[in-house]
Amino acid sequence: MATPGGPRPRNFPPNYNPNALANNLQNLQVSQPNQQHSSNLGGNAPRPPNTTPFGQQPPSFAGSRPGPPPPGVFPRGPVPPSVQAQTTLPPNMVSTRPTGPPMGSQPPPPFASRPPPPGALPSSIGGHSALGSRPGPFSSSPLPSGPSAPSYTNTSGPVGNGPPAFASGMIQNGPRFPPGVGSMPRPAVGPPQSPTLLSSGPSSHPPQMRPGFGGLNSGASSTMGQPGPPFSGPPQNMPPPLGSMPFSAPVPGMLQSSGSPYGMQTWPPHPQQMVPPPPTAGPMQQQPMFGMPPPPPLPNQSMALSQTGQSKIDPNQIPRLAPSSTVILHETRQENQANPPPPATSDYIVKDTGNCSPRYMRCTINQIPCTVDLLSTSAMQLALLVQPLALSHPSEEPIQVVDFGESGPVRCSRCKGYINPFMKFIDQGRRFICNLCGFTDETPRDYHCNLGPDGRRRDAYERPELCRGTVEFVASKEYMVRDPMPAVFFFLIDVSMNAIQTGATAAACSAINQVIADLPDGPQTMVGIATFDSTVHFYSLKRALQQPLMLIVPDIQDVYTPLQSDVIVQLAECRQHLEILLESIPSMFQNNRTADSAFGAAVKAAFLSMKSTGGKLLVFQSVLPSVGIGSLSSREAEGRSNASAGEKEALKLLQPVDKTLKTMAIEFAEYQVCVDLFITTQTYVDIASLSVVPRTTGGQVYYYYPFSALCDSAKLYNDLRWNVTRPQGFEAVMRVRCSQGIQVQEYSGNFCKRIPTDVDLPAIDCDKTIMVSLKHDDKLQEGSECAFQCALLYTTVYGQRRIRVSTLSLSCTNTLSNMFRSADLDTQFACILKQAANEIPSAPPAQVRDQATNVCINILFAYRKFCATVSSNGQLILPEALRLLPLYALALLKSNGLRSDGRLDDRSFWINHVSPLPTPLVIPLVYPRMIAIHDLEEKASDDSVIPTTIPLLSENLTDEGIYLLENGEDCLIYVASSVDPNILQQMFGISSVEEISNQFILQQYDNSLSKKLNAIVNEIRRQRSSYLRLRLCRKGDSSGMLFFSYMVEDKTPSGLSYVEFLVHIHRLIQTKMA
Amino acid sequence: MAAPELAQTDPEGIEGVRMTWHNWPKSKVEASKCVIPIAASIQPIRPHVELQTLPYAPLRCKTCSAVLNPFCRVDYTALIWICPFCFQRNNFPHHYHSLSQTNLPAELYPNFLSIEYSIPNNQNHPQNYAPQPSPPIYLFVLDTCMIEEELNFAKSALNRAIGMLPENAMVGFMSYGTQVQVHELGFSDMSKVYVFRGSKELSKDQVLEQLGLGVSGGRRAGQGIQKGGGGGPSPIAGVGPNSGINRFLLPASECEYTLNSLLDELATDQWPVAPGNRSLRCTGVALSVAAGLLGASMAGTGARIIALVGGPCTEGPGSIVSKDLSDPVRSHKDLDKDAAPFFRKAVHFYNEIGKQLVNQGHVLDVFASALDQVGIAEMKVAIERTGGLIVLAESFGHSVFKDSFKRIFEDGEQSLGLSFNGTLEINCSKDVKVQGIIGPCTSLEKKGPTVASTVIGQGNTTAWKMCGLDKSTCLTVFFDVSSSEKSDPAGMNPDLYIQFLTSYQSPDGQMRLRVTTVTRRWVDNTMGNEDLIQGFDQEVAAVVVARFVSYKMEIEEGFDATKWLDRNLIRLCSKFGDYRKDDPTSFMLNPCFSLFPQFMFNLRRSQFIQVFNNSPDETAYFRILLNRETISNAAVMIQPSLISYAFNALPGPALLDVQSIGPDRILLLDSYFSVVIFHGMTIAQWRNMGYQNEPEHLGFAHLLQAPQDDAQLIIRDRFPVPRLVVCDQHGSQARFLLAKLNPSATYNNAHEMMNAGSDVIFTDDVSLQVFIDHLQRLAVQAS
Repeated sequence: MATPGGPRPRNFPPNYNPNALANNLQNLQVSQPNQQHSSNLGGNAPRPPNTTPFGQQPPSFAGSRPGPPPPGVFPRGPVPPSVQAQTTLPPNMVSTRPTGPPMGSQPPPPFASRPPPPGALPSSIGGHSALGSRPGPFSSSPLPSGPSAPSYTNTSGPVGNGPPAFASGMIQNGPRFPPGVGSMPRPAVGPPQSPTLLSSGPSSHPPQMRPGFGGLNSGASSTMGQPGPPFSGPPQNMPPPLGSMPFSAPVPGMLQSSGSPYGMQTWPPHPQQMVPPPPTAGPMQQQPMFGMPPPPPLPNQSMALSQTGQSKIDPNQIPRLAPSSTVILHETRQENQANPPPPATSDYIVKDTGNCSPRYMRCTINQIPCTVDLLSTSAMQLALLVQPLALSHPSEEPIQVVDFGESGPVRCSRCKGYINPFMKFIDQGRRFICNLCGFTDETPRDYHCNLGPDGRRRDAYERPELCRGTVEFVASKEYMVRDPMPAVFFFLIDVSMNAIQTGATAAACSAINQVIADLPDGPQTMVGIATFDSTVHFYSLKRALQQPLMLIVPDIQDVYTPLQSDVIVQLAECRQHLEILLESIPSMFQNNRTADSAFGAAVKAAFLSMKSTGGKLLVFQSVLPSVGIGSLSSREAEGRSNASAGEKEALKLLQPVDKTLKTMAIEFAEYQVCVDLFITTQTYVDIASLSVVPRTTGGQVYYYYPFSALCDSAKLYNDLRWNVTRPQGFEAVMRVRCSQGIQVQEYSGNFCKRIPTDVDLPAIDCDKTIMVSLKHDDKLQEGSECAFQCALLYTTVYGQRRIRVSTLSLSCTNTLSNMFRSADLDTQFACILKQAANEIPSAPPAQVRDQATNVCINILFAYRKFCATVSSNGQLILPEALRLLPLYALALLKSNGLRSDGRLDDRSFWINHVSPLPTPLVIPLVYPRMIAIHDLEEKASDDSVIPTTIPLLSENLTDEGIYLLENGEDCLIYVASSVDPNILQQMFGISSVEEISNQFILQQYDNSLSKKLNAIVNEIRRQRSSYLRLRLCRKGDSSGMLFFSYMVEDKTPSGLSYVEFLVHIHRLIQTKMA
Repeated sequence: MAAPELAQTDPEGIEGVRMTWHNWPKSKVEASKCVIPIAASIQPIRPHVELQTLPYAPLRCKTCSAVLNPFCRVDYTALIWICPFCFQRNNFPHHYHSLSQTNLPAELYPNFLSIEYSIPNNQNHPQNYAPQPSPPIYLFVLDTCMIEEELNFAKSALNRAIGMLPENAMVGFMSYGTQVQVHELGFSDMSKVYVFRGSKELSKDQVLEQLGLGVSGGRRAGQGIQKGGGGGPSPIAGVGPNSGINRFLLPASECEYTLNSLLDELATDQWPVAPGNRSLRCTGVALSVAAGLLGASMAGTGARIIALVGGPCTEGPGSIVSKDLSDPVRSHKDLDKDAAPFFRKAVHFYNEIGKQLVNQGHVLDVFASALDQVGIAEMKVAIERTGGLIVLAESFGHSVFKDSFKRIFEDGEQSLGLSFNGTLEINCSKDVKVQGIIGPCTSLEKKGPTVASTVIGQGNTTAWKMCGLDKSTCLTVFFDVSSSEKSDPAGMNPDLYIQFLTSYQSPDGQMRLRVTTVTRRWVDNTMGNEDLIQGFDQEVAAVVVARFVSYKMEIEEGFDATKWLDRNLIRLCSKFGDYRKDDPTSFMLNPCFSLFPQFMFNLRRSQFIQVFNNSPDETAYFRILLNRETISNAAVMIQPSLISYAFNALPGPALLDVQSIGPDRILLLDSYFSVVIFHGMTIAQWRNMGYQNEPEHLGFAHLLQAPQDDAQLIIRDRFPVPRLVVCDQHGSQARFLLAKLNPSATYNNAHEMMNAGSDVIFTDDVSLQVFIDHLQRLAVQAS
């Protein structure tokens, strides 16, 4: 990676700028064409395979890579060089060298091109329009299109999204519009869109756009500001991003826009459109209930559920995600008021004007209810999602580092809150009032400054800590109980027979070998390595030795470290030894016949050798730990044979088998050791038990099942690379402080809690989110503001001790409707999801499902009862801001974790995966994004890289189509039965569906279709900061089943369809009302 | 007296057996009146020029399994022999057909009282554990808790040793400090080491399992994986329990390079030592792991653990002292007062290791080099029971260690003749009972009619195991006479027979059986002491008494050795002296006894009795050597020899007395553990002036050189190599000499005794003269 990564970390040290990390990311490797030269490994940059000229990439990216980090090489500009080489290799190569390095990737040149998705905004914003408004918009827009559209549209995926209008005529135009449309599909776009539409064609008639989507539409309109005249003006909060306002320009324009800084946005959350895919007759028939009849006009947020229920619902009109393609510019405070943040899933650029960026901290409700009663009436919960080291957008200002010198940052002497823009200076600046506890402190003499006429300190705008929601303080001595720890990376590799034979060991070694080059430079970086089977093997990497020395710790009941020093060495001193060692490990153990794995002992032993410093322990494990401390039994099989024992027994299997590992993990955390677990397996490994270790130590579990050396090596490499290169900190402690009246009830996420007020994080990185639930302990004053401050004390990988302080100050309200208007859907849903995940191991699945449904119903009921003015009994009224809640809830019910038919490990993994999951990734996890890729050609290059998304309804799939579905972890490519062989050949190098194998590697062939596909995949990877696990699916076998299991809007044997679910909810609400 | 003793040629003879009494009193009562126990000192595999080796298996008696010997009565016509022990008549087998009075097989020659059988390897002899000659195993265990300089000395000694090993010898290597590292020499990819924690006691099975050599490993593994893996291939089952041992033990020829490079890289122990603390050294665990590792080798394979120890064990089981430097290592005083908190536990721990090693037939050798004690006192039993070697030195760079260590591996003339897996069996005539053996062996608890009811040393048996033995290994067998007097009508059988059967594996791997048959006469001392007196071997008696009294000091709490010695000496003199009652001046001793009191005088003053001048480690060391060395060497330990060199006389023995010191003399003292060359004042001055370098003073040069040469002669043959001290009169090192001399001149009587140029010894000890006076007085008192 060295090559590509031009910008490596070195840049940042002094002032660590989070954005910088972005740079790292760049190098992510994405899929590649097969490239790998084994020989290459060494260090050259194998990655980028692409033939495509990189040159094209927008320069802007190069440096600034935005946030999402995909791991590997991402094609960022710089990448280019190596590419050629790779390409030369015959594709087959791949197979020969399965373990191979990650693939090179394609650079998705087009980052830039992505239109900024504004989409999401609307809904939330719309909320404000609230009560009154809701009916308005919808009603206005007739949904007429719905019905009419059906027949034609469906075939072409993209088209579908549009309002019927398009459908009718436009399909053909397809290429043009679709893209355009797609990108701005939903309502959100409202305003901008219109122009587009117009230009594009005749078809457009503005009104239509939204009509279909009742709720959504409204959203859109709301976004704009007011409901009524939807499109008229851009909503205030959506300032057109820079000059490049995407919409203004027609499609082609988009590209231009790409030039704009935001190359990367996060993926727009909302899958596209709502298209009603009425299309094919066939499917339609099946679902008679969605009657074609045009439903009555939807009121704004209300869903027209006719009294009778389902028959009245028009599937085309029900709320769906509105993908937005616009970049939103968001100022955190405007007019001295907190500005509600854009949806977490949208692409936005934050300007920190006092409150912290929503990336770091968001609240479920953007206005804080003054009383508990009000809160409980709303049935919503009050919680914060905190992601203190989140990646920022490259166009955002870096976080400023403030150094107060010896004395350390100014803090409130009572609550120890850190100085922030909401601390009020009085008495000529001699004293200040803490906005958290209300105490009045003396201003330290050397911090004194006179107040200006506005009552603020004159230097308020020069001092970041007085004008920014997020700053980073340099920690003084008093924040250190010891010198900041070095960045220690300890790799622990399973070399038991199974691991060797499946190629997992080789894959791990190869990945580590390449990743070494990406570890931070400098004397701070230390590395250790050990392997294990039924014993633990350490390696002394001291340079003086002619070759590494293997030290075996055979006592796996009671382990110890075999050397005091020399097991963990400065990277700079042992690079060569390390490389030799990693290359020889797979062959050294080639004939290993030890099937046992002493995972617990190995981890403990590795921990003991890191104990003096702390650090990251990266464990590659392939089988169920069978010996030594913390060994596990194959509970799954026992559970199955024991099925009669009933649910209670079944639940136990989702809980750790005993406390051994938990106890160990707590000890690890105490000594600042964070464990990440890479599970490359073919069998049950009891993730429920194993995951306790990463969870408690601030690490995470990576799960490759069933592991294939051929397909998964690249992902393993990229995951590992991202793991070690992403922005992160060590030996961290976090605390959230709240203004008087509110207090923290509980923290949840991957960490260790020893005292109730603080969260101990042996390591924390940009992908870890912590949920903080809040409770009232007093009344708040209407009109006042309530502040939340998250302080994270941590050590950077360069050994600096820092305190990152994010402050969010929200206004308080006594009005329920304000609360609903300012509700944050993504955050709320993330909380629901995380709570459900926490419940799963301890409650029967049915109960968890009911709970999740009830949360949803209660909120809607509260809204219906107290806020909705529309009285029609037959209408399901949804708050604008939360209009997608039912859809997400449904998706949640159908997710891996809540299904009881899944494999135990899959469920356990899901539960663990969810625990630290950042808000922007929560939605796609349950409601994946699906796009059609068979028609990429037609869509030409006139749009963003990623085509418009399709709702997860199997009716939307055609027999000639190829669809890509991704949820941030996995990426399934579904090839329908009668796909044009030509396309197959171009994309996958196969000539018929029958040739699809389980082992799929995305390669880049020399044709534009293939290039586009690669570009798309790479773009998704970048957005998700994850190298997706690709799988090719076809109808009729298990892969197809898997794919269809993601069609969450479908009716399934065990679950309702979306429409049915809405009806179900409506009925329950009605019951409650009565 | 030592000098004549040295000159005497070969008192052991081909038999290698010397007894305190050549003629045995007939009854138990009489025997006890003899004061000095009836004991034999035997050197089971003493080399002798006339020793014959027969390439066939011995003939054994059907009932008592004694071996055919010159004392058997043979009926040449009937081809029958009668066993002298049980009187069983045995037929000669077929291949003895040509036997006749003039055609005797070697084992019947009367002058071959000792004879050796080389047992063909394919033959299955009951005592022969090893069906095949397996090459010996050397497992080196190196302490790394020392300063770098010491470690380098030790490493270079090891380097040299490895080069000297026979090509086929199997070699293993372990190092230890805070932890134990077992080096896997057979792993080609990189250096590989198994690490054991020093603080945890491991059973043999655990060691084997953790080294991947265990049988049980497979069992457990199976259970785990079967459940967990769901169908992963099961671990290969066909692996025998010992198959893995080759990973750790390789023929010297194959691993020399590996070992040398490994030694090159080996550094001192890295675990931090807190200031004011001792290094963390887990000698105990290291030895137990070593023993466990050897347990995986084939039964019957000769093996030795060669441990190089640089300090006291402070970590884990077998610790002898706390880590805190302010706690001194236990002294004799502490042991007496039971104020050594680690002692008992450590002794027990090492004893268990010893037992395990004996079961396996393996040897523990300890080479300790440290200024402080290292725990020999605790390990003594384990070393002694396995027949191990022990060398105590101050530094690995010191010749005491270096040269001794080299000797182990030397071939040919200098060879120690280290043999393995020895078993000693004793057959004796009726009425002779065996009480036990003091020396480097372990009782095999083989009961028989000749086992005496009282036990001395390793008893309760007629067979003993000697895991390791060498040419000079010496055992002291204590006999008793059956109490049944009447069974033996006078004159019926005046002779008694004792047969020693020693089977062992010689250094070249062959199984040998040495058969030594001796005869002695019963005497009826009711007639007088003459026969007994003539048959008394005072040198042997002195050594036996020394060994016996040391033994009693170890096992009897509060035993007053000096008083015991005095009382027995007086009893002896009363019984065998020639005197008139109550007239000290009339006291006379037969020449056969005349030296004995002086031996006792020196024994009382020796390190064996006066332990408080030494550390427990040293005492243990001295005693181990006392018990295993030959009679003449042991005698020197008790009573050093002193040779004087002067211009006008031939070198000759001098009195072991302070008065032997003269300014113009050079004295050479051999006290076994050290050899002292002592230059009189004048000689030293001459030497300092360099006269020896001038041609006209060649004589002086020769005079200086002579004791050096003699010292080298002594040193060359001795193991452990003695410390050579060269000193001058009035120099600080002179204490090595003075401590051994009879203090006939002390500060109390300096003015009267002092002759020109002599010296005085600052002591309150009595002189020999005073001792003898008292003895005479007490001996003649009515008993």
